[in-house]
Amino acid sequence: MAIDADTLLALYRKLVITREAEQIWAGMLERKEFYLMGHFGTGQEAIGVGIGHALAPYDYLLPTHRGLAEYVGKGMTQDRIWAEYYTKPAGPARGKGGLHLSDYSVGLIGLVGSLGADYSIAVGAALSAKLRDSGQVTVLCFGEGTSSQADFSSALNAAALWKLPLIFAMTNNEWCELTHYSGHVCTADVAPRAEGYGIPWAISDGNDVATVYETMRGAIDDARAGNGPRFLEFKTFRTGPHYSGDDGAYMCEEDVCRWQERDPIVVCGQHLLDIGAATADDLDAVKREARAEVEGAIAAAQALPDTTYDQMLAGVFSGNSADEGRGAGVPAARERR
Amino acid sequence: MAVVPYLAAINRALAEEMARDERVVLVGEDVRAGMFGTTSGLVDRYGENRVINSPIWENGIAGMALGLAITGMRPVAEIMFADFMYLAMDEIANQIASWTYMTGGQTTVPLVIRTGGGAGFAIGYNHSQVTEASFLNPPGLKIAVPSNPADAYGLLKTAIRDDDPVLVFEHKFLYFMPQEVPDEEFLVPFGQANVLRSGTDVTVLALGSMVGRALEAAGTLEAAGISAEVIDPRTLEPFDRDTLFASVAKTGRLVTVEEGRKRGGVGSDIAAMVAEEAFTSLRAPIVRVAAPDIPVPPGPLAEGMYVPSVERIVEVAKGLVA
Repeated sequence: MAIDADTLLALYRKLVITREAEQIWAGMLERKEFYLMGHFGTGQEAIGVGIGHALAPYDYLLPTHRGLAEYVGKGMTQDRIWAEYYTKPAGPARGKGGLHLSDYSVGLIGLVGSLGADYSIAVGAALSAKLRDSGQVTVLCFGEGTSSQADFSSALNAAALWKLPLIFAMTNNEWCELTHYSGHVCTADVAPRAEGYGIPWAISDGNDVATVYETMRGAIDDARAGNGPRFLEFKTFRTGPHYSGDDGAYMCEEDVCRWQERDPIVVCGQHLLDIGAATADDLDAVKREARAEVEGAIAAAQALPDTTYDQMLAGVFSGNSADEGRGAGVPAARERR
Repeated sequence: MAVVPYLAAINRALAEEMARDERVVLVGEDVRAGMFGTTSGLVDRYGENRVINSPIWENGIAGMALGLAITGMRPVAEIMFADFMYLAMDEIANQIASWTYMTGGQTTVPLVIRTGGGAGFAIGYNHSQVTEASFLNPPGLKIAVPSNPADAYGLLKTAIRDDDPVLVFEHKFLYFMPQEVPDEEFLVPFGQANVLRSGTDVTVLALGSMVGRALEAAGTLEAAGISAEVIDPRTLEPFDRDTLFASVAKTGRLVTVEEGRKRGGVGSDIAAMVAEEAFTSLRAPIVRVAAPDIPVPPGPLAEGMYVPSVERIVEVAKGLVA
């Protein structure tokens, strides 16, 4: 079934706002106007956007450290993202998350800093959904570099053993931090390893957001129906550096240029033009609106009150966070079946 | 009042809390059969969805507990040996400890990790350590160290009802030790030390398996004319400073006793606290009675020399009062 024009346009907006946010962020870092180091995902936004957009707010997503596209995809607004990035108490995690971002209102249950720590957390979340028969799906986002962590194997084993509603959504962007993945990973494709655990797998184009979205929809339907885990490998290429202080000198310019021709924003924009869902002017307007939204959110975040010393000390234990309505976890989970 | 072994008291606490709250689930290796008997029989009463055998994956048991806890369940995870807590260190120290703070309290983390530590079976190395001291440093973890069956029962029930992560360091040798436990239900609150014996000359703060030895030592000391006060803190986080400081103010002398090693041990932390904040109460140096800084040696002979003895506690206390 072909993707409908409204969905494609929504995906396009999310791609563009992710790109604009990262570019504005990178500019602020260059001008030393912002402290927060960025792990950017330039050129691979289609994966996070497609994954997040395919999920319901009550589904659980464990994002990657290159996760802006995943947050945007899942429905987190720029206001909430930047309040948290500026570590303001008004942020969804009270500014205690920063880069280790979470937003339980849209099912973003937490970003771990030690890569691979979330394999088992995702298994636990999926096990919880299964025990509660809640119909919630858990998606674990990770990269091909993190497939080298030992818990990769343990998590696939447990997910298959217990037939959990868990989707392993792997981005293969060919870069494990500063090293090409051929120097870290012994096979060109990681997904076929799922075969050994009896988990159905697929390899998809990670630069076409429509493909990512449709692939995810199928996997989500399967997982929600109780058919057990799925392993998806999305092929892409990180055309930018690992983090904001990295010059990317180890990257081959030809590869970068070749992949930039298949830039997900270009691919999706062309798709919209081809089906007559948007004009070139419409696409320009999307970019202008996205830029204004990000700039507005950054200005609003800057104006928020800063964390105090007492606020910094508070909240190690739940009893300290005192006020009503917190600690409730992810709301609006579908009714139990 | 029934006389029951520590492991039966744990089993009773688990059974009662599982009956009370259907969100309470057990996860761990062999929890259906029960390696030491603490979880035996519970699968028959509560079913396989409540008593979940995990693959051999300690880091995963801890991480799964976290995933369960932040999505509406109240898991009680079991790490079979306290030594294996190190296999789960990333999840416990980096993730579980930080999660409430890192998410700004958007979720609570109501999980318990139970583990059995300690010497007594002469196995040595990775099956004989007590490891609670290693978990004092990461903030955000509550730590209980029950020294007898009644506390094992009452502290575990409190742990299960707590909305924060709690590590319960049980002791394998104590598992088989019977003692009186009241028949009616009760909880042991956290942060409330147990003064097991009142005294005026020296405060002996003992932990877990060492509480029994400290009491025995206090009996010997009394015969020698020395009045020892024996305190079991029961929880290390929260820690009952008031009871300890009041005792030290009275006796002016402090001996800490633990089965673990001295360097970076529980006694080191408590000694520093007292030296820093109650120095003027002290009439003698603080002494830490602990295991030597070596791996736990195998064999009954070496293990017997490794674990602090009653005689050592007596000797140290006499030296302070003389």
